[in-house]
Amino acid sequence: MKPVAITGVGVVSSLGVGWSAFVEALGSPAPAEFSRAPATVPRSPHPALRVAEVAGFDAARYVGDKGLRNNDRLTRLSIVAARLCLEHAAIKAGGAFTSYDGDGVGVVASTAYGSTEAVAENNRIAKTEDPRYLNPARFPNTVINSAFGYVSIWEELRALNVTVTNGPTGPLDAMSCAGVYLDAGRARAIVAGGAEASSELLWESLLRVGALACEGDERHPPNAGITLGEGAALFALESPADAAARGARVLGELVGYGSQFDHDAAAPHLVAPSSTALARAIREALDDAGVAPGEVDLVVSGLCGQPALDEAERAAIAAALPAAAVCAPKARLGETFGASGALALACALGWFEGAAVRDGVSGEIPPRIDTVVITALGFYGNASALVVRRAK
Amino acid sequence: MYRRAPSMSTRVFVTGMGAVSPVGTGREAYWSALVEGRSGTNVVEGFDTSTVGRSICAQVKGFRPEDHLRADELRRAGRCSQLALAAARMAVRDAGVDLTDGARVAVVLGTTMGEAEVAERVDTARIRGGLGAIEPRDVLRYAPYLLSHFVARAVGARGMALTLPAACAAGNYAIGFASDLIRSGRADVVITGAAEMLQAVEYAGFARLGALAPERCQPFDLNRKGLVLGEGSGVLVLESEAHAERRGATPLAEVGGYGLACDAYHITRPQPGGDGNARAMREAISRSGLDPSEVDFVNAHGTGTAANDSVESKVIAEVLGARRPPVSSVKSVIGHCMGASSALEAVSCVETLLTGIIPPTMNYETPDPECDLNLVANAAREARVDVVLNNALAFGGYDAVLCIARPGRLPAFGARS
Repeated sequence: MKPVAITGVGVVSSLGVGWSAFVEALGSPAPAEFSRAPATVPRSPHPALRVAEVAGFDAARYVGDKGLRNNDRLTRLSIVAARLCLEHAAIKAGGAFTSYDGDGVGVVASTAYGSTEAVAENNRIAKTEDPRYLNPARFPNTVINSAFGYVSIWEELRALNVTVTNGPTGPLDAMSCAGVYLDAGRARAIVAGGAEASSELLWESLLRVGALACEGDERHPPNAGITLGEGAALFALESPADAAARGARVLGELVGYGSQFDHDAAAPHLVAPSSTALARAIREALDDAGVAPGEVDLVVSGLCGQPALDEAERAAIAAALPAAAVCAPKARLGETFGASGALALACALGWFEGAAVRDGVSGEIPPRIDTVVITALGFYGNASALVVRRAK
Repeated sequence: MYRRAPSMSTRVFVTGMGAVSPVGTGREAYWSALVEGRSGTNVVEGFDTSTVGRSICAQVKGFRPEDHLRADELRRAGRCSQLALAAARMAVRDAGVDLTDGARVAVVLGTTMGEAEVAERVDTARIRGGLGAIEPRDVLRYAPYLLSHFVARAVGARGMALTLPAACAAGNYAIGFASDLIRSGRADVVITGAAEMLQAVEYAGFARLGALAPERCQPFDLNRKGLVLGEGSGVLVLESEAHAERRGATPLAEVGGYGLACDAYHITRPQPGGDGNARAMREAISRSGLDPSEVDFVNAHGTGTAANDSVESKVIAEVLGARRPPVSSVKSVIGHCMGASSALEAVSCVETLLTGIIPPTMNYETPDPECDLNLVANAAREARVDVVLNNALAFGGYDAVLCIARPGRLPAFGARS
């Protein structure tokens, strides 16, 4: 990919809302605090209940309360992240464009499941009352591209608007798509990244398939599973030339991307993560960036706590980047699926800013981080990798 | 209009197509029904519509997934993925392409909701029986991006497998990005298109939005009363010119430029001035290296709703001007197959390029002065067609317009690098 400059970050996460709060928490030695009584899973008393939730999230604090009434949580997380991103990039100030205009700015972002909250809300009305009581102002929240469609409406972004869905690789894929669209001149700047919202439907579904870490549940060994997380991380992406021309501060550059798919026809289950696909994706991304394996300071992995997934991801990293240090930000951020790689990028930029790396799992973390590889392993055979470099 | 990358001049050909539609499965059945204007409108089966005031749709009936899928796919795949798999297999067979080495093969598919029925089943089990009633295997297959992964597995693709949930413009989004992957050198072959299934809550939601017609879909008619929800899948095999030439394939059509814009106006209603639609149309034309006067036919989004058809008519007139090329909406026949619609319609656009036949807009009775178009009404029309625009205007303010042309026709592409 042609290098893409990152000139702004909007982050809404369990580690904090807003860039400075996020960077401070990222570098803090304090252990992760997960919510045991999450607002997003209100009716599921269960010993295993814990969510890396955006605690006390109130979108009105950031965007005002006008127009929020019918928006679901995924939309609220997304519009707050977009607002913070555009202001941080100095593309907007006080709600008005200071660089570019609405026709020149687009959105390309990922969500893995869309609004499971809205799906459940509408289905509950249809099944326990009657479909005729569906609220036409809230039914649209069930559509997968709804949240990012609202981002364009809230911020008056009239260039392209593209939603990507691909599970945990989605955010990396979305940023690569944004690079393609920028290169083709479809927008001057693109708000790109991902968002995912916790919900009761999502949490209970994951519990039912044994995907969740179940401390206090004797049926499972401790930590053998994921912690559901949520959040949104959106970045202002533009060409390095455009960023320089408007005097924007560049936080980092996307310089390489790879995405591969593999399927073992003999795999006994539908879920079949592919170590070979991820190893190939990492090599493709390095090749795309013109970066040698030895130049990689840190792998920002998608290691999530689910043993089979983690085994496949570790094997791929060991094969493609045997000497690199590896960290696992999901240990504190939880598994945020369609937001995960975007939150991983926010971590990388935070380390470029000087935050201490607290989530190392193997290898020696070098004192200065200049080049990172973000990895993402899909559940069904897909895998992606993104190379990010400190701005020159 | 912003910069256009000079590296993106590779020609991209359509070399194979497959379709599962409310009017038939397979290219031939689908196309002959469109040309004859044989309606796919039927009555909803599978869920109760008695309280929502509407009962018609354009469901895919008589589709036998077992004719197209392996046993493990039948067991594992939700209906949306089944529709995608069937159309993808037909398209690959139609292209006659050997994908044994899948390293340079990618999959890019679109949808609005993916496995909506699976998600409904998981949640309904939870409501009725609590956590323990959820069927674990349903959880594992409710991801809306699974259709692309099933197709990647089925055809042996080893490159990118991506899903773009771009609502009712998803087909054009997917085909457009698939062409980008080839032009940027990331793939030689891309299996692309879109799939959608009709589902109970979705149907009721559209009814509650006041979008559904009571009896039939009448695009651009003065008395149009709404859309008819459909389902199906359309899949195309795209190849770089060099790849198609190497294997001696005959291209069916060439994928041209495409335009994307966002209304940023309202989540379900089009912007009344149609600015986004106009920008997307102009971009599709200019990125193909064409002048608006060179467009021979517009496959309209033409849903049959009051707002869409008048805004779209105004934009077509404004962008294409005095030459007034023929316009038609096959949604009068196949309904609005949501995410799959612009992919199924891309298939019909290619058939028009191949045959010189423009399929009719059926149920057209009373002209609407706000829809002053050269409409191909009620009977197919023969015409020399080299350049088609495929309009798709969607939920979320999404505007996507794709140019498809006779192979070699487009000036923007073909410079060998």
